[in-house]
Parts: sequence; C-alpha cells; structure tokens
Amino acid sequence: MKTPPEDHDLIRWLDGEMNPAERTRFAARMDADPALKAEAEAMQRISTDLRAHLPVEMPLPYADFFNSQIQVRIAQEEVLSHEPGHRTWLDWLRMPTLVAATAAVAIAGMIIWQQGAQGGSVVLSTYAPDPAVQARSFHSEEAGATVLMLDGLEDMPADKKFVTFRIKHTENDHEAATTTLYGLHDEPLLVVAKDARNQPRLLAATPRG
Amino acid sequence: MTHGLTIALVLTALGIAGAQQPASPAQAPAPQPLPVKKPATDGKVWGALVYATNDAASLTGSTETAPADFADMQSRLGKVFPYQRFEIIGQHLQDVFREYESWVVPTKDLFLKVDSKGPANGGGMNLHLQFWRDQQVLVKTDTVLKADSPLFIGGPKWRQGRLVFVLILQKGR
Repeated sequence: MKTPPEDHDLIRWLDGEMNPAERTRFAARMDADPALKAEAEAMQRISTDLRAHLPVEMPLPYADFFNSQIQVRIAQEEVLSHEPGHRTWLDWLRMPTLVAATAAVAIAGMIIWQQGAQGGSVVLSTYAPDPAVQARSFHSEEAGATVLMLDGLEDMPADKKFVTFRIKHTENDHEAATTTLYGLHDEPLLVVAKDARNQPRLLAATPRG
Repeated sequence: MTHGLTIALVLTALGIAGAQQPASPAQAPAPQPLPVKKPATDGKVWGALVYATNDAASLTGSTETAPADFADMQSRLGKVFPYQRFEIIGQHLQDVFREYESWVVPTKDLFLKVDSKGPANGGGMNLHLQFWRDQQVLVKTDTVLKADSPLFIGGPKWRQGRLVFVLILQKGR
C-alpha cells in the first residue's frame, strides 16, 4: 500500500507539475518499484484517453445570468464611484489579466447572446472524435441558418451510390432496442440496431414470407 | 407482427437467431401483446442529404424536392457554400421522441441521431445530435434548433463538390 506522499507525487507527475529534478527522482523511484511504474503508466493511459474524448468546445454556462450580473455590477460601481476614495471598476480593468479574462468571457457571451437574440439556431458545443476533423460553427445572417462546418473529413468515394428511402413513419421497439423505419405503404424498410460497441447498424428490412 | 419482425431481423442480422429459437415448436412461448401506446414526441425535424456542386454533369439525377415551407433551401445554401447547384439526394421527416433516440436517415450512409433535451427557452428545441457516416461518428453536438433557422452541416467532399446535411425543425410544435 502506497503512502500519501507517493500518491501526491504520482498525481503531480501525471499532471506535468514536476520540475526536471523531481521528474528524475520520480522516474528513479518508478524504476525501483515496478508496481508503482505499472500504476503510473495505467493512469497515464486513462488520463490520455479521457483528454482525447473530452469536448474541445464547451458552452458558456448561464451566459444570460452572467451578463446580467456584469451589468448590475457596473451599475453598482457607477453609484459607488461618486464616493471619494473609491476604486472604480475602470481601475480594476487596468489590470491586464482581468482585462483579458473579461474580454474572453464577454466575447463568448456575445457570440451566444447574438445568435440567441437573432432567433436563430445555436450550436452550443461540438466534439469530433477524429482529431483530424475540425468542427467550427457560425451563424449566417444572410442565409438565416446556423452552420456547422466539418473540415478534414475523409472524402466519400466518387463512385459511391447512395441508398435512399422514402420513410413514412418510425416505430421504436424498446425491448429489442431497435428502431424500424417504414415506407409509404407501411412496409418495413430499415431497422436501426446497435452493436456491442453501441454503434448503429442499419439493417435492410425484408419482410418474411 | 411489427415486434416479431423487428426481433427476427435483428437476431438474424446479428447471427444469433438460432441460439434464441426454442427446442421445439410445442415449447414456443405465447406471443406477447404489442404495446399500443405511442411514444411522446417533442416535435418533428426534416433532414436531407444535399449534394452541393458547380458541376452539372456530376449530379445524380435525383428528383427529390424540399418541403414547400423550405422552398428557398437552394438559395440559402448558396449563401453559405460556394456552389451553385444543390441536389437533394435523400430526405426524411422524423418525429423527435421525448424519451427515446430518433434517427434521421435520408441515406443509409450518412445519417443523424437525435436526442431531445426538451424545449428551449425562447422557442425551439434543445437537441443532442450525432452525425454518423456508417459506423463512424463524425461529430457530436449540443444544439438549440429553432424553426425557420436550419442547421447546415458541411460534410465530406464527394465527386466535384461537397455533401451537406440539412436539419430543420418543423413549425407548429
């Protein structure tokens, strides 16, 4: 059983917080302790996997509330600024870090606020599992549409023949965890099932008999 | 019949039908009655796979047309994508189930999984979308989808242009 200091060192090593000398010492400790080394490598793999699957873009939580609180705070500061010796919010904004942080939040909030204010659809977050794929979103005022552009996708083969359907309605089978798509004459066309990896399998439905 | 058909299709496709069959017809369990309750829905979405190109010769010849209330689809797409021709390859009008996943499948190759996360403040719906190419998910996104404001997903290149997935929330819900 490891002692707490060793656990602490392991976490710092995983988070890349050690200086070169500490890393060297910890590497030597791992070399002398195969169990510690195995655990460290396992945790590093888990950490890498987790980071690879976390979304790159996250929605700004409670943006409207945040903006309204900024406005309330500004109004309060304006009242207080008339008092002698009081430090105004402009004084605080002269601090470079605070300026940068405020600008970043304001820009993110403005983007969401503008899209919402225009009444258009909004892309709150995107995640493309393939690191080669870049997802970016924007609102086109001219088109009256929201766009999610995926760049870096593998091309579809030019000779690809697309199989299409004319679907009239859909039924879910909760017991079998499937969705059946029916055609214009209520004939089953397609069954959407999932495999062991939770990936969809689209199966052509051919009625028996 | 629907239930039995679905089970049979899935089991057959997954190659496990034989393992599930009873030893003899005499021992077969009585068929279960089908649930008649229709699942609750939060709205309807129209999805289409569109081929955008400047090369008329590469068009597929599809005769699919957009719904009447989205008749200006081509001109709106043209304001975002640098192409002049937009051909609907496949389309699908789909209920968005409240408690279950929904699938928008204009083609067998590129399709969308839709999970409702309830109505959005100010109208529209909160949706979690997954854009799939066969068994590979291309992107996952949380989106507020509003009527009159389609979502254009710029997909992979194909032939002399690009494939675009269009998703629209139908009015009236």
